[in-house]
Amino acid sequence: MANTIIGSSIVIDGEISGDEDLVIQGTVKGKIALKESLFVEASGVVEADIEVQNVDVAGRVTGNIAATDKVELKADCRVVGDVRAPRILIADGASFKGNVDMDVKER
Amino acid sequence: MVATKEFSTVGPDSTVIGPSILISGKLTGDEDLTVRGRVEGELNLSKTLIIETSGVVKANVSVRNAIVSGVVVGNVVATESVELTREGRMVGDIRSPRVIIVDGASFRGRIDMGNAEPRPQAERPATRPVVRPAAVRPATLPARPAPQAAPARVMAPAKPQPPPVARVEARPEPRVEAKPAPPPPPPQPVLVGEAGKKKVLVKKKK
Amino acid sequence: MATNDNINIIGRGITIRGSLTGAGDLVVEGRVEGQVNLKNHLTIEMSGVVEADIRADELTINGSASGNIDAGTKCSINQSARVNGDIKAARVVIEDGAVFNGSIEMDVKLPDDI
Repeated sequence: MANTIIGSSIVIDGEISGDEDLVIQGTVKGKIALKESLFVEASGVVEADIEVQNVDVAGRVTGNIAATDKVELKADCRVVGDVRAPRILIADGASFKGNVDMDVKER
Repeated sequence: MVATKEFSTVGPDSTVIGPSILISGKLTGDEDLTVRGRVEGELNLSKTLIIETSGVVKANVSVRNAIVSGVVVGNVVATESVELTREGRMVGDIRSPRVIIVDGASFRGRIDMGNAEPRPQAERPATRPVVRPAAVRPATLPARPAPQAAPARVMAPAKPQPPPVARVEARPEPRVEAKPAPPPPPPQPVLVGEAGKKKVLVKKKK
Repeated sequence: MATNDNINIIGRGITIRGSLTGAGDLVVEGRVEGQVNLKNHLTIEMSGVVEADIRADELTINGSASGNIDAGTKCSINQSARVNGDIKAARVVIEDGAVFNGSIEMDVKLPDDI
């Protein structure tokens, strides 16, 4: 699985960047930029703009999400912000407020 | 403490910063943190920070324990201990009651271990709070209060397996991997027969 | 360590005040105040107390030292040692249990991008 895990008691206020999978069980505020997948687990709280390839959200995200591949909002997640990706999945039970943009022509 | 490799097999709930990850900003937490990538800014942990050989921390660090096998640029305040392993490199100041610098590590900066700590030779190792490989000084603890008891305990089971012996001496810590540097006492039977103090002397002379 | 052409011992009862210079190895079990300038290996035993600026090729401290230390190759601060001062050496080792307050200057090779 992922190399990088931000545990549940961890709070990061700043920027995270990298090219490997990232699992967030704790809190991240600021900005996340990854070339791979981001997993916001149920305990995870993200108040950040997110730029990734894939993102799975089971926790809470406040901020705009831009994925080059796919965004998946799982049941019980809470997302406030705009989502932009070629593929977007919103599960039954997910709570989401924001715009969806699946029109990913180069911009 | 020394067996850094032990720590790298961290449990699922502890935090790992992978080798390609850069975090810049402020990181706080109440769990162990292993850094294989890069952290810049400020780092506050109530537990142990492990910086592996690929890890780079350019931050002011405040932790309970720090084990540095990678690079640190910044000041480190640790409430318990700081250890620079053979591959550790650090530029900055350290404030901690225990500081260990292993041969091979490089360091530039100030070290403040404080003077408040009373230091009667005999009591010191016993009162030390931090986890440590128990095999390091097996005879020290029992040797002082009851010098007679020490040889028996050490000699009997020590030859096959030093670490379990140490465990007998009521050290609860689970990390009982042998420290590489100090050899277990049994090979020097003469000295083991004496109180612990002598043995320490010999180790230095080698 | 260099050749042990001779080993000198400053015994427990002895106190030396002034400047101490030499080429052989020296073991201090007593007390030295002033300056020490040694070509080879200086050992401060557990009973030894050195209040001096020290220059030596190699230094092993089991006792107490205060003053600035300039060691050519290596300075070992062992478990029973108590050291105050600034240290300059290619290699410095501090064992667990040692008490050291002061600065250390080694050559630290950092990554380029730091």
